[in-house]
Amino acid sequence: MDSTITIEALLGIGMLLTALYLQAESFLDPMVRAVAVQSLLLAGLLLWLAYVDRDVDLVIVAALVVALRVAVIPYILQRQIRAFHWRAREVRAAHRVAGHALAAVALAIVAWFIFQETLAPALPDLPGIALPFVLLAEGLLLLATRTNTLAQVIGYIEEENAVVYAGVLFVAAFPLLIEMVVFLDVLGVILVAVILSFQRTVIGIPEEELMEELSG
Amino acid sequence: MSATLAETWFLLALLAPVAGSLLALHPSPTISEAAARAASVIAWVGAVGLLVSGTAQQWIGYFGVDSVSDLFVFLVASIYALSVWYSRAYLRSVHTPFLTPQRYYALLAAFAFAMILTLTVSDLGLMWIGVEATTVASALLIVLERKPTSVEAAWRYTIIASAGLTIALFGLLLLYRAAGSLNAFALAANPLPATLTLTTAVALALVGYGTKVGLFPMHTWLPDAHSEAPSPVSAMFSGVLLPTALYAFLRVYAVIAAPVPFPLRTLVVVFGLLTAVVAAFLLQRQRSYKRLFAYSSMEVMGLAIVGIGVGGVALYGALLLVVAHAFAKAAAFYTSGNVLRRTGTTDIDRVRSIRERWPWTGGTWIASAVAVTGAPPFGTFVGELLILAGSVAMGLYWVAGIAGAAITLAFLGVNIQVGRMVFGSSDRTYLRQEDPARELWAPLAGLGVALALGLIAIPYLAPAIQAASRFLGGGS
Repeated sequence: MDSTITIEALLGIGMLLTALYLQAESFLDPMVRAVAVQSLLLAGLLLWLAYVDRDVDLVIVAALVVALRVAVIPYILQRQIRAFHWRAREVRAAHRVAGHALAAVALAIVAWFIFQETLAPALPDLPGIALPFVLLAEGLLLLATRTNTLAQVIGYIEEENAVVYAGVLFVAAFPLLIEMVVFLDVLGVILVAVILSFQRTVIGIPEEELMEELSG
Repeated sequence: MSATLAETWFLLALLAPVAGSLLALHPSPTISEAAARAASVIAWVGAVGLLVSGTAQQWIGYFGVDSVSDLFVFLVASIYALSVWYSRAYLRSVHTPFLTPQRYYALLAAFAFAMILTLTVSDLGLMWIGVEATTVASALLIVLERKPTSVEAAWRYTIIASAGLTIALFGLLLLYRAAGSLNAFALAANPLPATLTLTTAVALALVGYGTKVGLFPMHTWLPDAHSEAPSPVSAMFSGVLLPTALYAFLRVYAVIAAPVPFPLRTLVVVFGLLTAVVAAFLLQRQRSYKRLFAYSSMEVMGLAIVGIGVGGVALYGALLLVVAHAFAKAAAFYTSGNVLRRTGTTDIDRVRSIRERWPWTGGTWIASAVAVTGAPPFGTFVGELLILAGSVAMGLYWVAGIAGAAITLAFLGVNIQVGRMVFGSSDRTYLRQEDPARELWAPLAGLGVALALGLIAIPYLAPAIQAASRFLGGGS
């Protein structure tokens, strides 16, 4: 078997496993570490492809992934968790761990089949491209099923990891300038999300009566 | 038009909000406001310069404008200027330590800059970044009053819009794979035949950017953000943020050579129709008038998407509808802000006898409600009529039928509710109260433009809409 494909596949499957782990975890601290591991695997994939393709741009993208998604963003999220101990676990998710895990596995299988039946024939040279598609679906699932704001931020990072993963598999990834600005933009969104998450903690989630304002 | 002059208009429109954002941070509230106002006027002058000159060219690789972006930049700059100049009335009424004029005007300018950036880049990747940047700036504007509901609304908006936009980015990756370029201008000049990869890319862009446009079922952030944002910001949300996201989708859609494949075209039309119908039903049971207008915006965006999908004269109708709606909806939200300040509530059932108390406000409110729902002789009416006529001309009677039903339902829903607030009487007897002109000029200005668009061919603006439509392959 081609060693390039093997290493690519191993790193991709590793990312998918972290995605499944994230669905089944209700404590936020391990979730932050898991998404950092996922980002580290992504950086590993980028470096491996940079080596195979002799592409310096991919080294820069890998460095950005490590700096932002392995170091800076997890650090910001963990500070939030330490500042508000009561948010360290999502209680609602804790009661549904088995259900979330099952849903995650089911979604992964369904997303895989949908991809294989629709887009895969158009991309015959990219057998591994279904993995980021599945990862994107897992990120959306995490966003949709969690109510804890930090867990939702983690879902968003997972989605973004899926996009970088897909981009790099398309060989000619986005031009480097755009890739770098996308990273900064995503960082901006995450910072805003953290600010809002903090405000939500300080000001409080609206009482049921006030929430009526946001219904309908 | 020399390149130098065209560059000057472009730079004025793009950079004035940046300067305004920085200068608005000056410690003096007076200087902050003056800087914001000056920046908005300068940006508007730049936008008018682009529109009048009909500039179409690219600069330094990543920036560029053409007839379509000229039109949308004019729209953004106009509503931005109206909102900035109207904001004094709003800021006087809010007494929250966190909401200072400096923060407010700086964020408003940053929001406008993000939209104008989106409209003046030629690279689809940078365009995506611009759309995402609008989320960053506008989410913070929603939260400035620091109410629990506004923080909740801003949170939902950030997370839903960002998640949706990630899907659009996935689509752009596929597009880059299929086309080998992200230059919107080059791709529009040489559109590509629809392969499976390209069709999927456009479909993902529809879902992704559709989240920000407010398409069903990804619309859930829209009524929350509109109802919790300050009224001048709500005007920018409805009037120009949704069209900016629509513009980003249009640029991706223009990559595919005509005829657009039937499944993709059907997908676009069905998404638009579903959005219009769902919004028309949902607005019937709204209790807040700001949410009512938010759902009305969703209905209009649905119709615009239908027009884009149908093409031909319906595409021209869609562009005209978007432009006229921007001014009319801004008028509706400015008037809503006036009513909110005076009555202290957004609850439809608790607002009555507006005409009796503030006759001018009552007049502008009912006129803007009529205008946003496409009544003659406003430009929105002409736009909606052309979408229906275009559908019939293409033999798409079912599209015209469903869209017509949604238009009728929305018209009745909005106008009955607003009519109850304006003309409905309560147990109390009200005296006529002061109806200051400083709070009326902005809604009147918006209504004036929306009306003129329906009655006359406004010099430069009407030809610009025609040029944009032709450029996108539509009729005029």
